[in-house]
Amino acid sequence: MSSEKAPYPQPREDQDNAAFLRRWREDGKILLQKARGGKPFFYPRPMDPETWSTELEEVVAEGRGHVVSYSSIARPNDPAFNDETPIVLAEIALVEGATLLARIVGDNRDQVASGDAVEVPSAEIARRYPLPVFVLAEKSTA
Amino acid sequence: MAVSSIAAQSIGILGYGETVYKKKSDSTLIALLADAARRALASAGLTKNDIDGIAVCSFELPPDNAVTLAEQFGISVSWAYLGTAGGAGPVASVINAIRAVEAGDAKTVLCLAADNYDVGGHFKLMDYFNKALINYGTPNGFGGANGLFGIIQRKHMETYGTRREDLGRIAVGQRASARLNENALLRGPLSIEDYMNARIIADPIRLYDCVLPCPGAEAVVVGALDRAPRGKAVKVLSGYERHNHPAGEIAPLRGGWELFRDRLWGDAGFGPADMQFVQAYDDYPIMVAIQLEDLGFCAKGEVSRFLAERTMQFDGSFPVNTNGGQLSCGQAGAAGGMIGLVEAVRQLRGEAGAFQTPGACRGVVSGYGMVGYGHGLSTSAVVLETAE
Repeated sequence: MSSEKAPYPQPREDQDNAAFLRRWREDGKILLQKARGGKPFFYPRPMDPETWSTELEEVVAEGRGHVVSYSSIARPNDPAFNDETPIVLAEIALVEGATLLARIVGDNRDQVASGDAVEVPSAEIARRYPLPVFVLAEKSTA
Repeated sequence: MAVSSIAAQSIGILGYGETVYKKKSDSTLIALLADAARRALASAGLTKNDIDGIAVCSFELPPDNAVTLAEQFGISVSWAYLGTAGGAGPVASVINAIRAVEAGDAKTVLCLAADNYDVGGHFKLMDYFNKALINYGTPNGFGGANGLFGIIQRKHMETYGTRREDLGRIAVGQRASARLNENALLRGPLSIEDYMNARIIADPIRLYDCVLPCPGAEAVVVGALDRAPRGKAVKVLSGYERHNHPAGEIAPLRGGWELFRDRLWGDAGFGPADMQFVQAYDDYPIMVAIQLEDLGFCAKGEVSRFLAERTMQFDGSFPVNTNGGQLSCGQAGAAGGMIGLVEAVRQLRGEAGAFQTPGACRGVVSGYGMVGYGHGLSTSAVVLETAE
């Protein structure tokens, strides 16, 4: 097989998500948005979906949360992921209150269970992925 | 959007049609649509020149739309509708067509749903389905709908104790019906053991939780009930749609059905116990189960026991998707949202032959679809009854 890994499909950058994508790419940080007095939300939008306020603050998430539920995907859509199965796709609740869909990566990802604590890996690992990923916090093998 | 009480007694479904289902396409999307349309008009005893309204649901139709389809078909229409609600769109299109007829915007509406693709085409469709999935699903290698519905199924299992062996009764019951349906693509025997031990696709989703993408088209004709062939008209007693409920949740265990359920049954004058069958959108057994809960067949969280006590084949104690549904017939894209409607009309006209549900005169058809960031956003349902 080829040693060149196929590139991941990339998000389409626009004004709504540029800051979020850049912050992840550069620092491995999850940039959330929230309206003043509101709740942080994901995915990036030009307005708070609850209040429609366009006066949004940026919230840099701590990068910690827990698994709400997950699936372990044996057959990814895009061939770029074929060498990385199972793809563990999880609904993650961040400590800030926002929820998102994200991969759990790491060699021990098959030990995941709902409720498990997760955290964003080092910026060096995070940078390999186009969107936020997590590793199991307590079972981490690094 | 609802069906008015006046329309429920005077406007309904006059005919239905369905293409032959195939694993690989040997024609174009327009040809599939035209084939289903021709069959539906024949079933209604009407001709092309009777049509003055058109509704179409199809993922692959754009950049064409309902109006350019009218051009292809060579018909002039006073009402045109393009579905936007994915698998919930076709049922919603019939509700909207009835209102158009009631308002006088059209007299006879052809409602169509079709797509023309295979497994590879389906994966591409999901990767580019909408902005949220393109940006925040596809770059995660999310496994299309399978990955998303695996999350929902696991949550339902862990929240309510829902058991795979009970969900599997839906797939097994539908397959028992499909074995008698010559238009079903999957007709081999299927046991609970087969279901339980099938290949993992997106754990907990396994092979027999999934549909086979295929080309195909479905159609119904909506108009004044007294224009249908004698004894063949089907009333739409009530109908509702709801989109993006609950707002803001990624993997909810409920959908818009719970908001309109009471009005759906109240308008119809009947309840769940009065239905001889349920045609529920079956992209996955877990979503059929959630529809049964949200439509009030059982309480939220109790569907596993409900299923364990029933048999789902066409002549079982609780007939569900009586032609085999998408799980056994195949999922022809947006036509997957009309296959249950067409099957309901077939049953209510007593034309289902080998898989006819005995005594079927009333049933519910439920739609679901338009997968957004984590789940289907759109829901719809109609209660149908054989007209006197």
